[in-house]
Amino acid sequence: MRLGRRLAGLGLVAAAAFGLAFGAEAQEKKFKIGVIYDYSGPLAGGGSSLHGLGAKIMIDHFIQKGPVEGYTIEAIYADAQSKPEVAINEAVRLIEQEKVDMLLGFFSSAQCVPVAGRVEQLGKFMWITTCISTAVLENRNYKNVFRPQAMGQHFGMTATDMIASYSKEKFGKEPKDLRVAIIHEDGAYGVDVARGNEAGAKKHGLNVVLKEGYAATAPDLSALVTKLRRARPDVILHTGYNPDISLFLRQAREGGLKFGALIGHGAGYGVPEKLREALGKDLVGFFNIDPISIWQTNQAALTPDLPPIVKMVGEAYDKAQPGNQRSPHVGMAASNVYLFLQHVLPRAIKAHGGTSAEALRKAALELDFPEGGTMLGFGVKFAGDGPMAGQNERAAPVVIEYTADSADVVWPKSQAKRAPTLPLPAGNPYTTR
Amino acid sequence: MGFLDIFLVEALVNGLLLGGVLALLALGLNLIFGVIDVAWICYAELVMFGMYAMYYFAVVYGLGYWIAAPLSIAGVGLMGVALHLLVISPLLASAPINQLLATGGVLFFLQSLATVMFGIDFRNLGIRLPTIEVADVFISYARLLAFGAALAGMVALYLFLTRTYVGTAIRAISQDRQIMALMGVDTRRIYVITSAVGGALAGLAACLLVLQYDVHPFVGLSFGPITFMICVMGGLGNMIGGFIAAFIFAEIISVGGLYLDLEWGYVFAFVFFIAMMFVRPEGLLARRS
Repeated sequence: MRLGRRLAGLGLVAAAAFGLAFGAEAQEKKFKIGVIYDYSGPLAGGGSSLHGLGAKIMIDHFIQKGPVEGYTIEAIYADAQSKPEVAINEAVRLIEQEKVDMLLGFFSSAQCVPVAGRVEQLGKFMWITTCISTAVLENRNYKNVFRPQAMGQHFGMTATDMIASYSKEKFGKEPKDLRVAIIHEDGAYGVDVARGNEAGAKKHGLNVVLKEGYAATAPDLSALVTKLRRARPDVILHTGYNPDISLFLRQAREGGLKFGALIGHGAGYGVPEKLREALGKDLVGFFNIDPISIWQTNQAALTPDLPPIVKMVGEAYDKAQPGNQRSPHVGMAASNVYLFLQHVLPRAIKAHGGTSAEALRKAALELDFPEGGTMLGFGVKFAGDGPMAGQNERAAPVVIEYTADSADVVWPKSQAKRAPTLPLPAGNPYTTR
Repeated sequence: MGFLDIFLVEALVNGLLLGGVLALLALGLNLIFGVIDVAWICYAELVMFGMYAMYYFAVVYGLGYWIAAPLSIAGVGLMGVALHLLVISPLLASAPINQLLATGGVLFFLQSLATVMFGIDFRNLGIRLPTIEVADVFISYARLLAFGAALAGMVALYLFLTRTYVGTAIRAISQDRQIMALMGVDTRRIYVITSAVGGALAGLAACLLVLQYDVHPFVGLSFGPITFMICVMGGLGNMIGGFIAAFIFAEIISVGGLYLDLEWGYVFAFVFFIAMMFVRPEGLLARRS
């Protein structure tokens, strides 16, 4: 009898201990995110570290809020060093050694293209916040790679849509008479956007007088400036990182290049404070195509949960970089990370039984948000199959025009604050006026 | 379009001015190799530190360009001395590959150090120089300055090497390092002076490049490889050869880029380099043995 009691007591103690251990384990369920951006190398200053900051602000926000459906979020950050091979190595390291559940981030398309293939091969989930090259997803039929961001050809075609629309009114020319030059860095990103430019020019019947690529690290672009002077374009469509953008514009100014409009396509053109440092007031009147800055979206048109998050990101950014103008890059990454942590992850855990790549994929494919469903203004609906599987089909960039101290949305007309200033204003050293 | 159109003239002028920039960069590297027989792979990173020095002296401390320039030149000159004393000197008797690897290591060290010290942001002086227009050909003022400085640097270096006692000693050492020590020349002192002059030339290049380029920790990647190729094509250690090679290289890039895709200019320049390595492996001005 006594022995029986003792055994029962021991059993109770063991059960309690096991229960406690089990409980602790349940509480310690972790969701590990591998975050990869360029924190060093030329791309870091070209915008990648700002995206990294935006992603971190949002991840920290969710970590502070507490577990998501019982899962504590843990982020492991890695530096791609502006090199595709380092990005691949870091992605594999995070998956195989750090055992992350997914990868998130990526600024450069040259990194995205190979990394996406490797991640898919390893059966993990990848959420691309930034890189825009169409080639990352086109005809790849990936199951687990998703991009809420607009893609490169959208960027390229948005530029031609705007200039074709204003060709007659602002330049006094039919689109077929409007002389357009397409120049781009020759990586995956630049080539892809230029393809969009070319397709858009063809669609609108614009006269493409020059199409030229160059290495982003080229020490001299004066030959390009001379060719542009010879081609006499009304509009230059430029895709570049930095500092190739400031080198080109500096040499263009010194080389006496004149044009009616210059439209950039994100990356280096999306960091206006750096361009202002290099170009001063010469930047006024230049355009940039990017997803809208989250601080410029019409807050009333967003779903009600979003404006407080926009405010939070702004305050966190001001704290991280006091005195700096709020960068659209930061908001872009923050918005795309929010979409994942707020909508994809909880849905995967609740409705699809966990955090596997398959569960995350199913959850992502179920998202169906109309316009106003993200901080960037656009909606969300991912293509599940087809040539662009994994692409958010509702993502769209806007055209902004740089002013003396800010930037205004000028295209599409539905979101435009005002009409674009075309051709470049008088007094600008590049203007044909 | 006529063959000798205005744009070809402009491309030739641009090539000439780019040649000035590259010649200036090659000058210091050739001096070092000619005398100490060590290639500073990290030379462009010294230029990068010089550009940062210009930024901090001129913009952050508000000293103005003309005060910042000599301070930066002196600063990079001291870096050259430090590089020699800390890295090169202990390896002087080692195999050339060890010296090469050591200066290659310094390259990565300096890039990382700059990232830690200055961050990853692009910086620039914010100086916008006027444009010179002659008969519809536009000439970059900053490039013209670099061109002038390259010529002046070359002449000054020539005078220093031929008209001063130290210069004569440097030339003598570059001809025979072992014998000069036996004849009582303090080779260590000469090496230090040469490193200081080589560093100062990197500083001078930095003062001019910072007018045209943003500075960031990896700016050296744009210039380092091309500068090294120019030095090799001119004959490592041959300053006049390097000077000529810089202009040939720049003209091929500029004119080739005008008539074909921009990238082809570089392709032609590199093909020319490879061809020259077969035809004149000792450099453009080497005498056939």
